[in-house]
Amino acid sequence: MQQIQRRIIYSIILLLGLVWTFASADQLGTSTSGKIPAPQKGFLAPEFILKTPAGESVKLSDLRGQAVLVNLWATWCPPCRAEMQTIEKIYAEYKDQGFMVLAVNMTYQDDPSAIMPFVTEQGLSFPILLDETGEMANDYQLRSLPSSFFVDRNGIINEVVIGGPMAEALLRTRVEGILR
Amino acid sequence: MLLAALWIGLALAEKRTERHGISKETLNNIVYYSILGYILGGRVLYALSHFSAFAQSPFSLFSPSPDLFDPLAALMSSALVAFVYGQQQKLSLRPTLDALTPFFATLAIGLALAHLAEGTAFGSPTNSTWGVELWGATRHPSQMYELIASLLIFGLIWFRKTDSPPGVSFLTFAALAAAARLFLEAFRGDSMLIFGGLRLAQVVAWITLVAALALLESTFQRGKS
Repeated sequence: MQQIQRRIIYSIILLLGLVWTFASADQLGTSTSGKIPAPQKGFLAPEFILKTPAGESVKLSDLRGQAVLVNLWATWCPPCRAEMQTIEKIYAEYKDQGFMVLAVNMTYQDDPSAIMPFVTEQGLSFPILLDETGEMANDYQLRSLPSSFFVDRNGIINEVVIGGPMAEALLRTRVEGILR
Repeated sequence: MLLAALWIGLALAEKRTERHGISKETLNNIVYYSILGYILGGRVLYALSHFSAFAQSPFSLFSPSPDLFDPLAALMSSALVAFVYGQQQKLSLRPTLDALTPFFATLAIGLALAHLAEGTAFGSPTNSTWGVELWGATRHPSQMYELIASLLIFGLIWFRKTDSPPGVSFLTFAALAAAARLFLEAFRGDSMLIFGGLRLAQVVAWITLVAALALLESTFQRGKS
């Protein structure tokens, strides 16, 4: 191909690229999916209403305005058990700034009689919720335990961490991210 | 997925490395040191940018969690390590990049497959008949677009003529990858927006395309003279 032909082709490609960039600009901001509930970063955290072992109901959207860590766990899951003390430490440190932890036990696949002894033994002070039907796990498309969803003050999922145990620095950076 | 792509990409690059004047051992060393640079650089730079969090729990630096990681810093660190190694070994930049091109093209396929498996890099909502249900809406199958584009680019790179001047193979790959990103980013539902709705990835891809085409032209000119 001749040099002049090549340069013309390159110029056309670049011009088309520029036009395409402006033509496909997202002026309405529809790229952000903050209004659609889905268990994915950038989306609204799916709503749930679950009961504590004492029978009190907790609704996620009632916590709007607070930064929330939704942690899915089970007593038989070693990494879930291993990260609870770190979560408790970070909760104690940041709760006065508006940080809340909802530790949702996957009761439908756990031994219900093992939950409270574990919570007492670990000295956990944040709310423990029970997913007895698996509906919440289904809405959050649970793939692996533990799974942690960091939800900001507007109810948007800021970060998803699959697996564990989470390191203290990871928890700290993610919690500071949702408290901003 | 990415590990498999790394392995296959390296094996494919090895097959043709000697036609670029780079030995298999050198090619392997570049890739291994770069991976090391990627892992260490990504973690250390993440820790430095979140210094106070790590100062309170220094052992987190050794956590196996991949979430304590800065991918952009990791890429820069990996490129720096490869560059330093290349300088030490007195390797020419253009043939080395040409030798690594099948590796890069295979990694791009692996990345597309990883996006497909995870549901990340998802598309914007659409009414088109080929839309897929994902994250609460019918969306462009952007991961499939990415996969098809990366397979086509790999095919073009792998089966192209080999009598071109050094650097052309890599620059062709860079130009094709940038053009594909520029076009396909428009169908993404997770773009980072700047200046009233422009998609950052498209702007970066356009600049990359300008650079790749300019360098291609100068490479052809050098090849002639």
